[in-house]
Amino acid sequence: MTIDWSWIGDHTDDLTTLTVSHLQAALSAVLFGVLISLPLAVVAHRIRPLRGFLLGISNVLFTIPSIAIFVLLLPVSGLTRTTTVIGLTIYTLVVLLRNTVEGLDSVPAKTKEAAKAMGTRPLRTLLTVEFPLALPVIMAGVRIATVMSISLVSVATYIGDGGLGQLFTDGFQRNFPTPVIAGVVLTILLAVVADAALVAVQYVLTPWRRRRA
Amino acid sequence: MNRRTLLGGLFAAASVPALTACASGITSLDNQGATTSGGGSSKGGVTIGTANFTENQVLGYLYAAVLTAAGVETNVRPNLGTREILIPAIKGGDIDLLPEYQGALLHYLDPKATATEEGEMQNALAVALPAGLQVLPYGMAEDSDAFVVTRETAKKYGLTSLADLKKQNGRLVIGAAPEVKKRQVGVVGLKDVYGVEFKEFKSLDSSGPLVKGALKKGDVDVANLFTTDTDIQANDWVVLTDPENLIPGQHVVPLIADRKADSTVRKALARLGNVLTTAQLTELNRQVDKDKKDPEDVADTYAKQHGLA
Amino acid sequence: MYELFKNLGSWLTSGAQWSGSDGIVHRLAEHLQYSLLATLIAAAIGLPLGLLIGHTGKGAFVAINLASFGRALPTVGLVVLVFLAGGLSMVPVYVALVALAVPAIVTNTYAGMTAVDPDVKDAARGQGMRGHQVLFQVELPLALPLIMTGLRLALIQVVATATIAAYVSFGGLGRYVFDGLAQRDLVQVLGGAVLVAAVAVVLDLLLSTLQRFLFRHRTA
Repeated sequence: MTIDWSWIGDHTDDLTTLTVSHLQAALSAVLFGVLISLPLAVVAHRIRPLRGFLLGISNVLFTIPSIAIFVLLLPVSGLTRTTTVIGLTIYTLVVLLRNTVEGLDSVPAKTKEAAKAMGTRPLRTLLTVEFPLALPVIMAGVRIATVMSISLVSVATYIGDGGLGQLFTDGFQRNFPTPVIAGVVLTILLAVVADAALVAVQYVLTPWRRRRA
Repeated sequence: MNRRTLLGGLFAAASVPALTACASGITSLDNQGATTSGGGSSKGGVTIGTANFTENQVLGYLYAAVLTAAGVETNVRPNLGTREILIPAIKGGDIDLLPEYQGALLHYLDPKATATEEGEMQNALAVALPAGLQVLPYGMAEDSDAFVVTRETAKKYGLTSLADLKKQNGRLVIGAAPEVKKRQVGVVGLKDVYGVEFKEFKSLDSSGPLVKGALKKGDVDVANLFTTDTDIQANDWVVLTDPENLIPGQHVVPLIADRKADSTVRKALARLGNVLTTAQLTELNRQVDKDKKDPEDVADTYAKQHGLA
Repeated sequence: MYELFKNLGSWLTSGAQWSGSDGIVHRLAEHLQYSLLATLIAAAIGLPLGLLIGHTGKGAFVAINLASFGRALPTVGLVVLVFLAGGLSMVPVYVALVALAVPAIVTNTYAGMTAVDPDVKDAARGQGMRGHQVLFQVELPLALPLIMTGLRLALIQVVATATIAAYVSFGGLGRYVFDGLAQRDLVQVLGGAVLVAAVAVVLDLLLSTLQRFLFRHRTA
């Protein structure tokens, strides 16, 4: 199995386009995943009976094969990017929800009581005390969800999307390894870079943790 | 601003990058055709969808080449899947134009269709198509389904035609793309017309590496391939004849949404249809599959060489 | 939507759907075979690796990064790549599934080992235990709950992903998903998806019951 380097040289534009499209799909999914899981996690954290239910649902969704989710969404959103993003978002929930709930759980009760004693309103406490303190655990979830999404985007190639995944089906149909190798390498690179970027974001967002590190 | 509208705003803002990726898919939904009389307008671009095999992508890019030369903006979405996925997508507006094959499309729309002659099929298609879709005049090039066996299998079982398969009922394994199991031009029709029953159906791919590999290895006895596949000749495989005309004529025919079918598009695609021959299409497929050229480049070069672009 | 679920009911309850080479029983058996074998291979690779790193404390940085790098491996790409390199067999599927499962097993095994109280290890050594005795008689039993969690996580992911076998012509419950996609038969796709999810949930319940049974004396 040899790499046809001239093919790679001739296709830098295509590879760039696919990489950008790939990243866009994965990041949109994580963004929507965070927006959905934050309020759900607050509910799961505050209302104990709902906690098992919400986490259970996200666990079960995680066991459904991603390809099936994409296909089952076809009547709803067709052969579009929306289908890809909805499908991926569903998969991010299991990690994001669990980590956000755990993050909120990890905030010491005394800290919350202190905020209450100082007359801080519940919503304000949530936004200015609980979320910031839960941030490291939440960010760990965001990192896992991002890497997972980046690896999963390619499954959407079966419904005509899938970013770099298109290189896999193309190489498969034509018995042509070069695009497949390029796709795998770029996917991993994308994951490594995105993960490093998130570590940097976390560093900026949590100045109080730096001295310890 | 309460929390709800704030969240709504975030969602709207966040969805922008996701949607720009398929901007042309969105514009195709714009009802710009309504202002033009006599059907559609290709203003705002035409999105061409293609199925999951090489030739269909070559055809899609050929359509794009001639339409671009005619001043129409195009966007090709390669490798979207099977006809079963593509027809709902063109109805739903995700794509506007699709390279199709007369007989296969007709049998998809009307499994009981009896037309076999090209003109008849064209008329039958016009009747069978759902509102909003139409076929343009068919081209010269043809690519039929073929049921193929290896030379050894043909000798061993004395197979020359599809009718001969009946003698081996319950013994042979057929390999084809999953959709062929439910298609008239497939397992269903082989049983109806020839009384053939297979021992097993193996879900493989459309004239791709799986089905050809399985035929070579002997994992399947009969394979469903396309007549434009150069591997049939290269491997000295036997195409079983079709005395009862189960497999209809499969001229390449553009399937288009009414909203995009203006005279510019019609003219450009008709010119291509009158130039492209079966032999040329077969050669273009070979260049993509064997020489690993891009379908887009192959199509562009062809269009230029033949004065189409 | 209602129609879809009603048809799913008749799909799942039709007797013909359960028998034969394309029947649910056969596909289920194939799916279990792929998933269990892949997870076993992954455990054979991941467990010793995690134990070794946890016990010696060496190579942790590399292992953790390798694990997150492994998580980024696109399964579809890996299957296709191994297929192109070595031809059509179940090997590409197993390689991809093992690659998916190993990171979860390594990281959880390692995490379990690091969670063992250093004082306990010191005490064991103080009693004259050798390195391998400390590992197998002290560290491993204490790390077992987290190791089991890693195995469960790996198995669930493998069960959901074993669907990919159908893409390269093999069986398993993925057959229904890929055939249903090609035929746009959503009932079949949903049927396949529900069965895969059911297998994952049942296996997870079995393992967590086993886990609870094994560690019942440890409840805090």
